[in-house]
Amino acid sequence: MKPELELKLQAYVDGELSAREARDVETAIANDAEAQGLLRELQTTTAVLRQNEPQLAVPESREFYWSKIERAIEQTEREPVRPLVAFWFSLRRVLVPAAGLALVLFLAIASFKVNTTSDPLSHLAEVESLSEHVSSFSFRSHSHNMFVVWLHENTEQQASADMEPEFDDEILQ
Amino acid sequence: MATQQEHAALGDEKLVRLAQRGDMRAFEELVARHRDKIYARAFSMVRNEDDAVDLSQEAWVKAWQRLKQFQGESSFVTWMTRIVINLCLDHLRKAKRHRAESIEMMDEESGGVERQMPVVQINPTEGLERGEIRQRIDKALGQLSYEHRTVLVLHEFEQLEYKEIAKRMQCSIGTVMSRLFYARRRMANLLASFKRDELS
Repeated sequence: MKPELELKLQAYVDGELSAREARDVETAIANDAEAQGLLRELQTTTAVLRQNEPQLAVPESREFYWSKIERAIEQTEREPVRPLVAFWFSLRRVLVPAAGLALVLFLAIASFKVNTTSDPLSHLAEVESLSEHVSSFSFRSHSHNMFVVWLHENTEQQASADMEPEFDDEILQ
Repeated sequence: MATQQEHAALGDEKLVRLAQRGDMRAFEELVARHRDKIYARAFSMVRNEDDAVDLSQEAWVKAWQRLKQFQGESSFVTWMTRIVINLCLDHLRKAKRHRAESIEMMDEESGGVERQMPVVQINPTEGLERGEIRQRIDKALGQLSYEHRTVLVLHEFEQLEYKEIAKRMQCSIGTVMSRLFYARRRMANLLASFKRDELS
């Protein structure tokens, strides 16, 4: 039997089909013994379950069961969430990301302004040290649409002076 | 303030109205009256006595907190049952995240296990006393995966429609239908096997 027909049979048992669909199912199973057997099984199982739901009792005395509920209710009522605090917490969820976004925007605008300022000394701000052996200076001229980077090798004496203590330590050992 | 005996004589509607005005003793009477049903629903879904007790008590606490929202469109016990079902579904979802899928589920996903089950031709509970039938149903429910058991409980015991079950279980109607089909076929075969065991 096709899975589609099986599920249609079930929907038929459950009353989930339109009148037309229900008639189609009845026609489809009229000469199908297997489908009729399955239909009977589904109907019997449903009827048995609906008429015989297992009955259970709470495995605790009435007083003990209620005492835990009463305690929990009293506890929740002792610590009510104050409306103003709740409002602040809900507002905070919106304010925190908004403030973060505003800060990022502010920094982006400020950075753009610094980079595009017409201050003639602004090119001096860009000095970067790549390593202890090399320094670099950059120069930018917006009026000439020019950007120059000057790499400068540090003197050997300076580098040796920086390294001397390490050699001394090795000799001492 | 009414005594416990006076409360016991009142109907659910009156007790609910008193409880809505803050009468804790009226609420206690409602708990005493319906606690077994609410616990049984929780147990039918989670299949663990301690969890069922905890979840049913949590449901009562939630009910007290939301009592003013209850407008009486359904009966009080139906409203309470919906609360405990939602709590159980949340509990089962959390538990599922910490658990590998069962072999049974993998079989179902690979398809067609229910189609290999023979059609049960007779009523496997015929001639049994009601208590015995209930025991066998309970035993068979315990052998289903929680997805199949839940869909069966919601459909057969709560008599919810496919659409409503899909909404509560957060799945498609097609999934509800295939799970229900599998669960019913498995139940029929389990009840038939209990009958065979009895005869042999």
